[in-house]
Amino acid sequence: MNGGTVLPLVGRPDRIQRVATNLIEIAAVSKVYDTSQRGRHVALSEISFDVAEGQFVSILGPSGCGKSTLLYIVGGFVDATSGSVRVSGAPVTGPGPDRGPVFQEFALFPWKTVLGNVMYGPLQQGLSRTQAATRARELLGLVHLTKYESFYPKELSGGMKQRVALARTLAYQPKILLMDEPFGALDALTRKHLQNELLEIWERDRKTVMFVTHSVEEAVFLSDRIFVMTNSPGRIRKVFDVALPRPRVRAELLVDRRYQEMVVAIEKLMDEQEPELS
Amino acid sequence: MSIRRNLVSLIAGALPIMAALFLWYAVCALKLAPASLLPSPVTVFTRLIALAGDTNFLTQAGITLFRLFVGFAIAVVLGVSIGILAAGSRAVATLMQPVVRVLAPVPKIALYPAFVLVLGFDHSSKIALVVADALFPILLATYQGAAAVEPKLVWSARAAGASPAKCLFTIVLTAALPSILTGARIGLIIACIVVFLAEMITSTDGLGQMLVRAARNFQTVDMFEPIITITLLGLLLNAAFNVLSARLLVGFAEQP
Ligand SMILES: Nc1ncnc2c1ncn2[C@@H]1O[C@H](COP(=O)(O)OP(=O)(O)OP(=O)(O)O)[C@@H](O)[C@H]1O
Ligand SMILES: [Mg+2]
Repeated sequence: MNGGTVLPLVGRPDRIQRVATNLIEIAAVSKVYDTSQRGRHVALSEISFDVAEGQFVSILGPSGCGKSTLLYIVGGFVDATSGSVRVSGAPVTGPGPDRGPVFQEFALFPWKTVLGNVMYGPLQQGLSRTQAATRARELLGLVHLTKYESFYPKELSGGMKQRVALARTLAYQPKILLMDEPFGALDALTRKHLQNELLEIWERDRKTVMFVTHSVEEAVFLSDRIFVMTNSPGRIRKVFDVALPRPRVRAELLVDRRYQEMVVAIEKLMDEQEPELS
Repeated sequence: MSIRRNLVSLIAGALPIMAALFLWYAVCALKLAPASLLPSPVTVFTRLIALAGDTNFLTQAGITLFRLFVGFAIAVVLGVSIGILAAGSRAVATLMQPVVRVLAPVPKIALYPAFVLVLGFDHSSKIALVVADALFPILLATYQGAAAVEPKLVWSARAAGASPAKCLFTIVLTAALPSILTGARIGLIIACIVVFLAEMITSTDGLGQMLVRAARNFQTVDMFEPIITITLLGLLLNAAFNVLSARLLVGFAEQP
């Protein structure tokens, strides 16, 4: 109708308010990679934002803008060059079971069965084998893989592997899920199934989620808030608050004008800054 | 189905060996070589069967097997531990790299006289040579395998609450198993060769020494027995290794 003001849901980085219940606080995080061949490469430059407890945030941006790097820094797998990340108020110094990663490449332990993979976390948490198996079986039920508990990862399809990876991470009950293009390697249909499952699971206990993706629709469908990044050096370009009602049903969203407008607005923004591959 | 395929490939693999044996037999039957120099396979295998009940022969074979096993086991334990530690700690890697670079290409057999002088004629010198020769392929394969382990496997374990040291000795070690076993297989073959060599050079017992003594006395039939025995032992060990590998590597992608 009034094409000029189609962005009622858009926020700007400078207008984001600090809420008392911020679970993740990212303050001026920069990452410089020292590569022997190409010299210094600034992957992230002064990234700052907070994520409130229970929020589902997505990070969108062109390839190579540092989305994975940012997630790895929050996970404690990679050190920031400068700046700080705090989780529940405490600075991140390494990996911890409060932050559970889910990778695009699944990264399942090939020598463990499906059940063994999912039991791994609970066992590290000090549960007995029977307790860990019980916990693992609950989660396998949640991701509809009960029948496959004695399979090895190589015997599963991509979608099943990613379900196992999600169950393995959920099994040690992290407060925060760090998901790096978890559905990127899957076909469109499987991807949609898993998005629905992820939302269902998220609706149960409302974990805090940082979700990296290339798909605008996926980000809008899943998130409370979307950070769009720019390329080299990686910066936050714009923040979108997704005020769509939950629980979300794909068929309803697809005909929802607010959903459509947000997808279009983000697509437009991302078209403006094609990755300059030089 | 899989059993049948295995049987077919077993028969196919046996064909060239049968052909070689037949050629050997033909050469002897046609008297192309004097029987005193090249005894017929029939004679050789008849003697081998007789020796299979001979206590002295079995003792010699046992001695060789013992040296081979102990040397190989020490090489595996040392090679895997150093390789894994070097992959996990920059300090260990910095410390070990120059030593390994210097020692790996040294022909270890050249050290054998020194081993004999220091360790004596008995087991120790032979075992030391086996360790020296089998160690490096195992160490290098372990290091390379461990260094190439997908970091996300380690991250997944670390995030679940495992300590760095625990990750190294459970996740990294297991993920590097295909590479470690490849190195160990090479180490095992080298150990078979080297133990025999060492016994041939200086020894009072073992299969290698039997061969040298038979050769000195022009007992050509007896010369063949240690060779065939060590070959059969090698085949047997390789088969045992395959069974072990298959059990350990369950879940991993098929090895080429
Ligand atoms: N270990 C590394 N050493 C050197 N440079 C790196 C390393 N890891 C990433 N980079 C560089 O940092 C930049 C950001 O990489 P990153 O993987 O975080 O991007 P990304 O946004 O996740 O990309 P994609 O969407 O393709 O996954 C890239 O330019 C990449 O070349
Ligand atoms: Mg990435």
